[in-house]
Amino acid sequence: MVATLEHLVDSSTPRQRDFEYAKDMLSLAPGQIAGLSGIPGSGLTRIGMSLLAPYAVRGPLVYLDVRGWASPMAAWEMGIEPERFVVVRSSDVVTWSRIVATLLDGVRGVYAEVPTGLRDQALHKLAAKARAKRTPLVLRPVTGKLPSGVAHLNLEAREVLWEGTEAGHGNLTNRRTLLVASGKATRGMVRTIEVEDDGTNDLRVVSHMGPRTARIVNGRVRAG
Amino acid sequence: MSTDESGRDEPAQAVGQDGLIVACNDAAAEHGVIVGMLRRSAEAICPTVTTIVQDLGVEMARFEPVVQSIESLVPRVEVAEPGTMYIPVVGAVAYYGGEESLCDRMDKELDAFGGDHRIGIAAGPFASYQAVRQTTRSHPRYIVVDDEAFIANLDVASLGSDDLAATFRWLGITTLGAVAELPRDAVISRFGRVGLEAHRRARGFDRNTAPRGVPQDPTVVSHFDPPIEDFERAAFAARNLAQRLVRNLSPYGVAPHRVVVTAIAADGTERERTWRSADPFTERSLAERVRWQLRSWIEGVSAGIRGGLVTLRLEPTDLSGSGRQMALEEDAKGFEETQRAFMEVQAIAGQGNLLIASPQGGRDPGEQMSWTRWGEEESTPRRDPEAPWPGRIPSPTPALVPPEPVPFEVTWVEGVPDQVRLRSRWVPVLSWAGPWRRLGRWWDEEGPSDRYQIVTSAGAYLCEVRDGRTYLMGVYD
Repeated sequence: MVATLEHLVDSSTPRQRDFEYAKDMLSLAPGQIAGLSGIPGSGLTRIGMSLLAPYAVRGPLVYLDVRGWASPMAAWEMGIEPERFVVVRSSDVVTWSRIVATLLDGVRGVYAEVPTGLRDQALHKLAAKARAKRTPLVLRPVTGKLPSGVAHLNLEAREVLWEGTEAGHGNLTNRRTLLVASGKATRGMVRTIEVEDDGTNDLRVVSHMGPRTARIVNGRVRAG
Repeated sequence: MSTDESGRDEPAQAVGQDGLIVACNDAAAEHGVIVGMLRRSAEAICPTVTTIVQDLGVEMARFEPVVQSIESLVPRVEVAEPGTMYIPVVGAVAYYGGEESLCDRMDKELDAFGGDHRIGIAAGPFASYQAVRQTTRSHPRYIVVDDEAFIANLDVASLGSDDLAATFRWLGITTLGAVAELPRDAVISRFGRVGLEAHRRARGFDRNTAPRGVPQDPTVVSHFDPPIEDFERAAFAARNLAQRLVRNLSPYGVAPHRVVVTAIAADGTERERTWRSADPFTERSLAERVRWQLRSWIEGVSAGIRGGLVTLRLEPTDLSGSGRQMALEEDAKGFEETQRAFMEVQAIAGQGNLLIASPQGGRDPGEQMSWTRWGEEESTPRRDPEAPWPGRIPSPTPALVPPEPVPFEVTWVEGVPDQVRLRSRWVPVLSWAGPWRRLGRWWDEEGPSDRYQIVTSAGAYLCEVRDGRTYLMGVYD
């Protein structure tokens, strides 16, 4: 009679572990909710698309477009097939919750811009429904942030660095976005991650930065 | 097709959803335009040609009186598409004293409508359709005497699959007779279901219409109270009903090839039309045909549906085991849930607010997508996405694109962008690229403009400077 015992030792460095953890953080399991906040231009639409893109192989994804500015090209660049990407245009606060609730019943992933003036209670109910239906949901408030407790992962854009342009020459190529992440996904801590986007369907967490714990100084979150 | 003051026809052509010419007038034909040609090629050989986009709903409305006229001679005709119908003539041939007499009678009926009509007669729908393809304007009828020999001499292109025809030709097989001689098992193993269908047709068998077990009565009915009077609402109801029918049948792995559409008006008038398709109807294709039919009844010349539509019924009369094949990762339940959710959302948000886009060519981000309402036939891109489009804004593309460029506050110092106003604050410009000159569509009185990519610490923006004013064209979000 022979017994085999296998004992695995984690040989990665704390820095590597942090990096892997940050990469995992930029993914959304079924039923999880991500909240994105930051002004338009900070790259959050593409980050939101990248969170949902893996679900497009199983069925259509829906972008609930409150502003009427959604461009499906960003989704196509993230590898989502055109016929798997549906845009619903509705700026009406009253029907917004009903539309999201209906979509959660039938589609594989929802990216929803949140109109101004929506009650917190409605968002909490939708979050509960998304969890129950195991449908990943990305919420992007048009202004402000989501109320606490709604999202599993909150990402707030802090700074954007673009490369490729210089005094009239070149064109936009790479973007690095500094994000402050919080919520259950970060185990309750506030962390800073940097994401690189070169316009392809692959967003990368930048390795040399690594995730760092943010400090709260004078009531404002700072990377540090 | 238009006529100028001298009474001479101006070149005109109609283009279908697939970008191919579906009809042209004599003036266009004189320049070399032929049906089936690519729109681009036609416009290259005849630059003055007027192009109109084919509208099958309108065509069906124009075709309906023709169908009714033939129906007065031979009952139970089946419409395949606007302009084409199948007529079961076994009884009529005996009644009118032969095929030629019947054709003469039909010619007499159809002459009242003008235009060009052609008739093919054979033993089955496939052969008769191919017989029509053999007709010309000077010989508008073709009566097949020996069906077996006729089918055997048909070119492999008549199978309707370019890929299959090309493969057969590569193998040295050019006629259906040669396809029929191939061992059935070998054809199935090499070409699968498509090959089997081709082999059956080549051997003179039309489609097998004996399906597996299906529900006792697959007919679907909708009643409307109050009656529906406008076409848009009727079309929406038609789509729901078509979806219900196909969805009810899909668990059994069957799909209809022939559907009887019945509409009952508030005054009790009942109208019925049979539609046939060589391929099984999908939700979309069936909904489209029901919509065309309703349009022809409601908006056609035959007095509409008096008092509105109170009942709509779809009865599949010919089922085959060619139900929808799901993608590998899809499941039928998920598919149905999605369709249901989209229908509900469409009811809440409005029909025009559930959209799918497809890529098309263009220089600016707003031009590079072609929108289609969910549930409708995808529109053919107006501009070729594969063309080079010199002057196109390089990728990455902006993730947010306003429907129309919106005024954007930028301060310029000696022609260089200095500050950008974002909400209530001014943000310094860190770098920029451009200007990229766009000449504009001068023939539409659109002036030239310069486009810039402007980068700030808060993000990057695509702008256009036109007539001294700056507009926002996209946000790199």
